[in-house]
Amino acid sequence: MSQAASSSSTSQSSSQAPEVYSGPRLEAVNLSKRYEDGALALDKVSFKVNPGEIYAMLGGNGAGKTTTINLFLNFIEPSEGEARIDGIVAHKDPLAAKQKLAYVSENVMLYPNFTAIQNLDFFAKLGGKTDYSKDDYRAVLLRVGLQEAAHNKRLKGFSKGMRQKCGIAIAILKDAPAILLDEPTSGLDPSAGREFIRLLTDLRSEGKAILMSTHDIFRAKEVADTIGIMNQGVLVMERAAADLKGENLEKLYVQYMAGHAGSEQNVETIN
Amino acid sequence: MLKVLIEKELKSILQSPKFVATFGVCSLLILLSVFIGINEYRSSVAQYETASNWVDQQIAEATSFRNLPTKVYRKPDPMQIFVSGVNFDIGRLSEISVEQDIKLEQSAYSDDPIFAVFRSIDFTFIVQVVLSLFAIVFTYDAINGERESGTLKLVLSNPIARGQYLFAKLAGSWLGLTIPLLIPILIGLLLLIVYGIPMTATSWLKVGTLIGVSILYFTFFIALGLLVSALTRNSAVSFLLLLVVWITLVLIVPRGAVMAAGQLVAVPTVAEIESQKDRYRADAQGELRTTRNLRYQSMMEPAQGLAESDRRAFYAANIDLYTEESNRLQAEMEIVIEQNNRRVNENLRNAKAEQERLAFLLSRVSPASAYQLTAMNLGGTNTSMKNRIEDQMVDYRATYNAYVARKWQQEQDEQAALLAEQRRGGGAAGGYTYAGSGNQAIDSSDMPQFTASQESVAEVIQASILDFGLLAIFTFIAFACAFLAFIRYDVR
Repeated sequence: MSQAASSSSTSQSSSQAPEVYSGPRLEAVNLSKRYEDGALALDKVSFKVNPGEIYAMLGGNGAGKTTTINLFLNFIEPSEGEARIDGIVAHKDPLAAKQKLAYVSENVMLYPNFTAIQNLDFFAKLGGKTDYSKDDYRAVLLRVGLQEAAHNKRLKGFSKGMRQKCGIAIAILKDAPAILLDEPTSGLDPSAGREFIRLLTDLRSEGKAILMSTHDIFRAKEVADTIGIMNQGVLVMERAAADLKGENLEKLYVQYMAGHAGSEQNVETIN
Repeated sequence: MLKVLIEKELKSILQSPKFVATFGVCSLLILLSVFIGINEYRSSVAQYETASNWVDQQIAEATSFRNLPTKVYRKPDPMQIFVSGVNFDIGRLSEISVEQDIKLEQSAYSDDPIFAVFRSIDFTFIVQVVLSLFAIVFTYDAINGERESGTLKLVLSNPIARGQYLFAKLAGSWLGLTIPLLIPILIGLLLLIVYGIPMTATSWLKVGTLIGVSILYFTFFIALGLLVSALTRNSAVSFLLLLVVWITLVLIVPRGAVMAAGQLVAVPTVAEIESQKDRYRADAQGELRTTRNLRYQSMMEPAQGLAESDRRAFYAANIDLYTEESNRLQAEMEIVIEQNNRRVNENLRNAKAEQERLAFLLSRVSPASAYQLTAMNLGGTNTSMKNRIEDQMVDYRATYNAYVARKWQQEQDEQAALLAEQRRGGGAAGGYTYAGSGNQAIDSSDMPQFTASQESVAEVIQASILDFGLLAIFTFIAFACAFLAFIRYDVR
């Protein structure tokens, strides 16, 4: 299912995008971030996410998951290494990179005085999609599970679950080849979480490359093609989900977080 | 893309309660100020016309050029409706008789001091204080507020250049403030037409320029709001910071500059000037007395030791010469005193001008001062208004008094001729009869009229171009700094 773990291509530098790009959709190459106060948030992290693949980053608070996503979005600049989207280096050509990225944050915040449809319309246009009709917006809101009654309501009264649905609707509307999700299911009730996962698998089948950070080990195991575990800015484990079948991921996770795993042949990529 | 961003900014501003508040307050204040301004203008026109009519009537009834009225009145200018400036502080009339200095007296505030307590709110004040404050209210959370609410990350996850985003913020707030300004001011201008206020093409041009300058002025505060909002993380902090900056720029710097200039350039007080003049006059008079005494003594010297009757004869023979010379000396002294007074006044004016120049120079650090100075230049109600009108009155006084002197001479000549004729005819009773004291009115049709000339458009533009340019530079710098701050802004 996953080709992410193939070890040979990490060294291949491909900052120059070829005519027809055939490399990984999302790629972190030795990605490092040291903050001004000297704290090393990310230490030479490398991974790839291919089209039609879901990559789940697991890790505790401060492991570097959000930092990784922020680097792809060029919200911060890397101290070293590159974050690439279809070969485009995020910090060198951020606008071109963002054209290819959709982003759903942990806590989707939209304009409270605008209705759901107005918010969708604004963000779709920002994403460069100017020819959607109101029917398109209604259709996508129904697809993400937001009831029709809420479509023309202001966002003011929306619950977190409703806002997350709007957030994923915006990502769907942008129709970008890669989607970044920063703990999208945290705080959602189980049925909302399940619905969310169903949407992600749909998007995967459309060929999107999805990078998702999460605390939720069970969801990760359920939906992801590749699972990476991060600890203190380092990618300590990366495995194809198929390989983890039958293994106790939770136990593995706890071991890696404690810093004494890898005695077995489990560790495939540690930089 | 820019259009989408601006549309969204404008839409959220139009929906926000702060827009409703701004629109309501601005409409109310502007319409009220124009309405009150129109009424004040009309009442001062009425007052001016009453006074002028009274002068005309006195002239019509006068039977001699000796007893003409000696007051001249300042005609109100409709620009005072928008920029009252010093209009209510300087006098409405001045004496123009030969003996008196030109000095505007009886200002609206000295007539009715109650109005000076709560000074009239004009359009300029509303823009300078109220709109600039609203500009800050509109933009204090432009950047950091979006960060706090979490929308900034989502917006900037799209391919949008930060400069573009910032410009959209500027444009949205700008439109959101221009609407509450323009709608009531256009209605106000309509009121001017309805009330038949005599607006010339120049006046319209001035009002148009004033509106343009006003818009430029609050654009600065929008850019300033963006700057502070892009420099801070927290919108509560940026609001507080902006409030401090606003108070400094709008309230402290202009007054501080005037106070500092007062400390740096000493200007003698009115009392000092008056006592200086009095002392000079007293000295001159003392000197004249001494000279006269000496002259008298030297005149009468040859008569010493003569008999009383001879002495009287000598006195009678010489006294006319003495009186003539004495009068000549007196006249010479008056000229010298007049020259001195003029010199003292000139020095005072120069010192004041120097002080004012320094005060304005210092105060121009603040766009609020630059705005007010431009507005007053446009309205013609700047600090030079008094000097300008007084200068025109000085010129008029010379023309007028020359005319009256000529006419009076003519009248006397006619009188003498008439008297001679009467004597020849022998019909009249003895003694001096004043022929003009009958009911024959004088012919004053060729009397020069006082018309205060307005500054030309070119002069107005010249006077306001510096402050206009300053405002533009301030705005550009604020926006450029906001851009630099936002480029570096941590959106997380």
